[in-house]
Amino acid sequence: MDVYEVFRRSGHKEPFEHAGAVIAPDPEMALLMGKECFLRRREGEHMWVVKRSDIHSFQDESLLEIAADKSYRFASAYRDVVNKRERARKRAEEAKRQAS
Amino acid sequence: MSKALVSLLTALGDDELVLGHRHSEWTGCAPHMEEDVAFSSIAQDEIGHAAAYYSIAAAATGESPDALAFGRDPGEYRHAIVCERPNGDWAFTLARHWLYDNADDVRLAALESASHPELAALARKIRREERYHLIHADTWIKRIVRGPVEGRTKLIDAVSEVYVQALGLFEPVEEEAAAVAEGLLPVPSGEMLARFVERTGNALDELGLPTESHKSAGDTARFEASSSGDLIADDRGEVELSSTTPGVAMGGRAGRHTDDFKELWDVMTVTYRSHPGASW
Amino acid sequence: MTYEEKLARFNEHIEAGGKVEANDWMPDDFRRGVLKFIEMHANSEIMGALPERECLPSAPTLQRKMSLCAKIQDEVGHAQLLYRVAEDLGKSRVAMYEDLVNGKAKFHNVFHYPVKHWGDVAIIGWLIDGAALVTQAALLDSSYAPYTRVLKRICAEEQLHLRHGEDITLELASGTDEQRAMFQEALDRWWLAIIHFFGPRSNVAKDLLLRWKVKTRTNEDLRNEFLDRYVPKIYELGFTIPAPVPVQEDAHWVLVEEEIDWGPLDAIKRNEGPETARRLATRRHMYESHRWVREALEEPALHAA
Repeated sequence: MDVYEVFRRSGHKEPFEHAGAVIAPDPEMALLMGKECFLRRREGEHMWVVKRSDIHSFQDESLLEIAADKSYRFASAYRDVVNKRERARKRAEEAKRQAS
Repeated sequence: MSKALVSLLTALGDDELVLGHRHSEWTGCAPHMEEDVAFSSIAQDEIGHAAAYYSIAAAATGESPDALAFGRDPGEYRHAIVCERPNGDWAFTLARHWLYDNADDVRLAALESASHPELAALARKIRREERYHLIHADTWIKRIVRGPVEGRTKLIDAVSEVYVQALGLFEPVEEEAAAVAEGLLPVPSGEMLARFVERTGNALDELGLPTESHKSAGDTARFEASSSGDLIADDRGEVELSSTTPGVAMGGRAGRHTDDFKELWDVMTVTYRSHPGASW
Repeated sequence: MTYEEKLARFNEHIEAGGKVEANDWMPDDFRRGVLKFIEMHANSEIMGALPERECLPSAPTLQRKMSLCAKIQDEVGHAQLLYRVAEDLGKSRVAMYEDLVNGKAKFHNVFHYPVKHWGDVAIIGWLIDGAALVTQAALLDSSYAPYTRVLKRICAEEQLHLRHGEDITLELASGTDEQRAMFQEALDRWWLAIIHFFGPRSNVAKDLLLRWKVKTRTNEDLRNEFLDRYVPKIYELGFTIPAPVPVQEDAHWVLVEEEIDWGPLDAIKRNEGPETARRLATRRHMYESHRWVREALEEPALHAA
């Protein structure tokens, strides 16, 4: 018997999420068991089972940490847009005055 | 702030900036789409490290990090020449990525105990990120080495080509004696070079990668002058590099660069230079 | 069930707002149409990386160098997501990529044009990404569900790109006369192409993708939303808009259709835009010179360590 991880998706717009795991002899059986163990209350419209030995992860998950400042990857890096718009507007008025 | 510290930070920052610039040229056209995304992060990391080194230097000199990065003449950059070489193909890029990140790890391990607390803290932080770079480089190198003969051959050629050039990363920085004396650079370049040669030599042996250069450099007789004359060991076991040695790309730490850098510099600084004082 | 019965049932399902998954039964025309549509979107993301990639080496600050690199990285990531979705409709990524590099596929018109300076980065990041976001947000409720799931992430990242692009624009707009001129010059070059981006008026009767709710809004509807959103902002920053100049109509900004010159778009549809050949040649060269990398990734290890 093997451990199968069970993933379910609640609707067409959602991603699959991990629901739990079952112990089963093969994928067919794991599907039957997963359905009743994790989706019997309509928790999902779609389900996958994946043999745990087919799942890989970093041995050292601290590799997933972001060590340095990566603020430029987030919208919060551009927070003061209101002030910047105001500054640009004033500069535009000044440019207009200069031109006339 | 000591002249030695600024000199050291400039060399460190310039290595990261120029290599990060080269790495970033792969963004959008790497040979595999998922790898395009992965390698782009490495490019961004290196540029981020440059920014961090420049920030420490800037705090003392009053120059902004951007002025350090983009406002100097080509002869004022202190990166090793290996960083400025064009990307060539993916084999050259991988070889350089692997050798640079190994060299950087040796260097960062030393800098973790620098007498300057900010620099030491930064080295620790950067080293955490570089750990992933090393795994990335190792994984790729292994995949190519164990793969079909064409890629394997290309990689072997690239490693031999870059290996000698990468030794230039350990050309002493200006004011090195002072940097060592002040504890800013806890391990002299010659000693770091010896560590790098040993470490990469072992790794290349393990990979079964036969390269002329590492064989000569990593010989059991501890760094006696090699057949190609790359390395000259002194009696303390430190290795000195000679700028006259063919194939060794020296001079970068003194601001002597190749035409490759002149081209890179023209493009890299054109916007910054075109409108002095502008904010971007 | 006969094909006609299946088709009738499929149409009913769509009509009722139902979604389609990759493994569901679907009419061949639906499969072909959706595949072509998503393939073009994917091609556009990967080709869209190139103009900005040409600007990246000259980014003027360390922050901009990193953030532009990260933005192009996101575009490649979008291509990766979209090619995966397209693949599941029956065409491999290799086949799609080869069609692209060999000039047999299409990608969005705006990526056929040259870039000249940092002003282009502002235009691409603010107005072109703004236009793209208007069209992509309209697809979030598409009937082809796998597409909507990746679009969720794509739109979220495009929101960030828009902020990034606006930030660059505002910096130029607040800057020196030369910087303002830089933006204006780029706007003058790009405006018509941005209008073309939305395409000509939709033929609602003939457009199968609209009928099957893969697309949810007409081209002109999307273009008008874009104009309403961005024309006031451009004017507010003191810039001028070249032909076709938007006009106000019942508190909306619109274009007089007859004033739009569609000539350049026709050339691009034949893959004969100003930069088409050069950019495709870049891709083809990289693709062909790195065949060995793909082989190394595909084949099992031959040499023991």
